[in-house]
Amino acid sequence: MALLRDLIDLPKNVWNSVFRNPLPSSDLGRSQTTFQNLFLHIHPVKTHVNTLRPGYTLGLGAISMSLFIILCVTGGLLMFYYVPSVEQAHNRMLDLAGTVAFGTLLRNMHRWSAHGMVALVFLHLCRVFYTGSYKPPREFNWIVGVVLFLLTLVASFTGYLLPWDQLAFWAITVGTAIAGYAPVLGEHMRFLLLGDRVVGQEALIRFYVLHVAVLPTVMIVLLGVHFWRIRKDGGLSRPEGSDVPEAQTAAAREGKLEGLAPAAKTAKVKTFGVMGLVRGPFTKVGNAPDNTVYAWPHLFVSELFCFALTVVAILVVSLMFHAPLEAPADPTHPPNPSKAPWYFLGLQEMVSYSAFWGGIGIPTIFVILLLLLPYIDRDNRGVGVWFSRHRLLALTLFTTLLVVNLVLIVIGTWFRGPNWALVTPW
Amino acid sequence: MSDEDKATDKPAAMSRRRALTVTSAVGLCGAGGVAGLSNLLFFQPRVTYGEPSRFRIGRPETFPMGTRLPLSRQRVTIVRVEAGMAAISNTCTHLGCVIATTEIGFDCPCHGSRFDADGGVLGGPAPRPLPWFALALSPAGEVEVDTATEVPQGTFLKV
Repeated sequence: MALLRDLIDLPKNVWNSVFRNPLPSSDLGRSQTTFQNLFLHIHPVKTHVNTLRPGYTLGLGAISMSLFIILCVTGGLLMFYYVPSVEQAHNRMLDLAGTVAFGTLLRNMHRWSAHGMVALVFLHLCRVFYTGSYKPPREFNWIVGVVLFLLTLVASFTGYLLPWDQLAFWAITVGTAIAGYAPVLGEHMRFLLLGDRVVGQEALIRFYVLHVAVLPTVMIVLLGVHFWRIRKDGGLSRPEGSDVPEAQTAAAREGKLEGLAPAAKTAKVKTFGVMGLVRGPFTKVGNAPDNTVYAWPHLFVSELFCFALTVVAILVVSLMFHAPLEAPADPTHPPNPSKAPWYFLGLQEMVSYSAFWGGIGIPTIFVILLLLLPYIDRDNRGVGVWFSRHRLLALTLFTTLLVVNLVLIVIGTWFRGPNWALVTPW
Repeated sequence: MSDEDKATDKPAAMSRRRALTVTSAVGLCGAGGVAGLSNLLFFQPRVTYGEPSRFRIGRPETFPMGTRLPLSRQRVTIVRVEAGMAAISNTCTHLGCVIATTEIGFDCPCHGSRFDADGGVLGGPAPRPLPWFALALSPAGEVEVDTATEVPQGTFLKV
């Protein structure tokens, strides 16, 4: 009889051994659900309401991560059909369209997600800048973020070569020639990157390994650090004084803390051990009232919403527009004009004036400035607010550089014709 | 004051533990450095599989006076004039695009560099003139181009 009962209970017991908590209906349950699940516990148990305000984050980080997930999945699937050989690569692209179920759709999704990720990661960087979120104690996470942005560009650049069409071949020829202009080590670096003096089979296999193995691994590790640091740095940035509920600040402003509603005064945050109730750089456990809500369901629902929205957007774009594929790479005939991917066209425009300053000098200075920014600009006013008046100089400088880059990209994309001569697009 | 305290006044005599820590740290960093260096060497191929840098283009008689023949696969233009023969690079010195032959010289489609018939820069972002490559006559009487060896502009092989 005991055996029979065990058999009847088998599904329930298996389920309960995997998921220790039933769907939570109490605060204790909500905490434990977040805390005891490997995939959820990278989140805090409680999240500040400002973090969940769509107008503050615009969901840019969550959308970037969603695109990264889409890229890993579609990229992994495409790897089953792709062969990194100069004889086969381009034919495999054609086969994807002709003989593989959903091949075209997968390639379109991968291509548009890659473009989208470059744009969204950059917009995320802009959001963090314009809200002053890189200031202490979040300096190091800004650096991790800048490195992740650069890795996104490199991942996109290495993937650009893989279809082995004319677009790919000449964009990489131009792009790696820029590396050759770096002082002293330039030619050496270029040779290491290409494995030869010109773009060929060696370059293709090197870019392929970087694209499918090295870069994703490094990015996943750094993403882990990036998310972990958000929590260790006390959650997302927020305006000063937002840790106190509205009722209390209003009362304090009017100088009648005594007359505070009993609920606000005595509101105790129930704590269940120290499980992740981290509000500042340090773990604080106490009964201080704050403006946090449970991650389950609030944070998880917003993340799921961002992910679903991203998938839908990418699907719609991929069904409407095909990823470009030009004629097979022909090392003897460059297309005229040869253009780099759009996000490097600002760079290419500068390169057409001076290869060293446009391709190496200015970008290097720009990256060093980005990396050092949180250590140069340490004034802690205006954190957690969009376009704070206290940061007029920083905002102006950043916006100027942003606009200059955008203008250069627009010129490179639409106003440059054969022999890189100025043309009008209409 | 005990003897031990006096000992600390002397120029720091290293404790055994500290000496071992420092030695281990140096050893570990050294091993890491050697591993990094060997990886750098690993990524540097000793042979490449692309086009060979030395190749024969045939006997001089096959190139009539006034020839300007671009060899797109080897990326050189073979020139035959009164003074002799020469091989001028077809790779733009700006960013490595293959340049096109025009009536007066060469044009680069990528960033608009222009060169005259001898490879001198006429305009655009190209930082240096097109290199000229060494030519030699093989024992069989064929012209051999060596794209690994540059020669000064105006060096012709007498044929």
